[in-house]
Amino acid sequence: MARIIVVTSGKGGVGKTTSSASFSTGLALRGHKTAVLDFDVGLRNLDLIMGCERRVVYDLVNVVNGEATLNQALIKDKHCDNLFILPASQTRDKDALSEDGIERVLNELIQMGFEYIICDSPAGIEHGALMALTFADEALIVTNPEVSSVRDSDRILGIIQAKSRRAQTGGEPVKEHLLITRYSPKRVENDEMLSYQDVQEILRIPLIGIIPESESVLHASNQGNPAIHFKGTDVAEAYEDVVARFLGEERPLRFTNYEKPGLLQRIFGTK
Amino acid sequence: MSKSPSSLPIEIKISTVVAISAILHSSDPIAIDAALKQMTGGVSDFFEDEFAVIDVGAIAAETPYIDWRALVDLLKKYRLNAVAVRGATPEMSEAIKARGLALDDGAGADRAREDVAAATAASAAVSIAPVAAPAPQPAPQSAPQPAQTVALPAMIVDTPVRAGQRVYARGCDLIITAAVNNGAEIIADGSIHVYAPMHGRALAGASGNAESRIFGLSLQPELVSIAGVYRTFDDGFPAELARQPAQIRLVGDRIDISSLTSHR
Repeated sequence: MARIIVVTSGKGGVGKTTSSASFSTGLALRGHKTAVLDFDVGLRNLDLIMGCERRVVYDLVNVVNGEATLNQALIKDKHCDNLFILPASQTRDKDALSEDGIERVLNELIQMGFEYIICDSPAGIEHGALMALTFADEALIVTNPEVSSVRDSDRILGIIQAKSRRAQTGGEPVKEHLLITRYSPKRVENDEMLSYQDVQEILRIPLIGIIPESESVLHASNQGNPAIHFKGTDVAEAYEDVVARFLGEERPLRFTNYEKPGLLQRIFGTK
Repeated sequence: MSKSPSSLPIEIKISTVVAISAILHSSDPIAIDAALKQMTGGVSDFFEDEFAVIDVGAIAAETPYIDWRALVDLLKKYRLNAVAVRGATPEMSEAIKARGLALDDGAGADRAREDVAAATAASAAVSIAPVAAPAPQPAPQSAPQPAQTVALPAMIVDTPVRAGQRVYARGCDLIITAAVNNGAEIIADGSIHVYAPMHGRALAGASGNAESRIFGLSLQPELVSIAGVYRTFDDGFPAELARQPAQIRLVGDRIDISSLTSHR
């Protein structure tokens, strides 16, 4: 039974594309045939994060318009056999995405045997974001633990609850998951940032995971390699936990406690 | 009553029905049409085929001729079924009866009420009678609008109201049992009751009812308004009342916030 998952946030720059890349990679590494689609028409960057920008020939708009088939447009990920990327157009604008066209593409992907279809949403609440969430069965709401991100996530939750296809046809509601990114327990401790409990208190949706603030993310995007591939790093492990929880496994929450460095650490300056 | 009921082809019993009084203060059909249109607000099922008793007591003396057919048709247009006329002059009775309307002179209603009181199975009917058959005295008739026997129940919302969402309880109170987030707007013509943390904007008495209040278990609103008089909380909600059971109401033209748990 294929599942369509939208990765959205409202706020820009919180880690949607980073998370889409690692989340879809994680699912594919576990043996599930997965497709990840970039809905950010005109400002595409999923292909950069996935490291396939030089292999883009056709994009989502080409497929929607019938100028190319899915087989021609889908790019197979170089790290993982089960993972396919459908990039966004760089030159067209968002109005090229029609609801009917997107529905056709998604149905065709399901027929091709994809188990998970990840829709990487652009920031905002306009057409591109709406197209990404319309057909979602589940949603990852990516939120930074700071006030404007939480407010925007609240807004996008309201929109999913009103404008998704499931909401409009009275079907079972979209399953919402809170993914907190760029979490810094030290700053929470110093009262500079909201704690994950604070965020949950406001958004009231189940928490699927916490991704710690980390330099690894920058390295990952520079290399065009999703962060989950960087075995042993906190970010990779956090994304693995998210994938595990999504697939039904229990994992305790990690990377939420700030441990004050010991005296020696503080003297000799290790982080 | 020695005959058993089932042997008679037709039985006659006293019964009461609920009817509305349509009290006319003008005989001009155009004016009446406009007034009904405004009253119903364009809603086609404002009236639901209720019986109507046309009361012409106020105009009968100056208006000897009333076009009964036009009046009945007009009421029908708004889904009111005229069945009788009250307060008519004796000269009008021929025309009224010719239209198939009954003459309600009030005396019959008194008689009916007495019989109903005497009847054994009439306990329910007695309570309806005063509504259905108002006495000729002016007092019961003074209801200027058709009797609204059912008040609209409060609107109840059980899911969080999120940023950018707006809830409007038209013509009634609003009860919310889940959080109202920053950036959300809750509006009611009546009062607002929030049994969860309230952070957004709350506007009570939206159509002008200055008696409306805002009640909350944990108030931390951005803006409150009652009947259009508003207050924002630039310096924060009063600290001693924040996140406590409190009520907000209009005292004169000032927004007053008081605790619900202790006397101030």
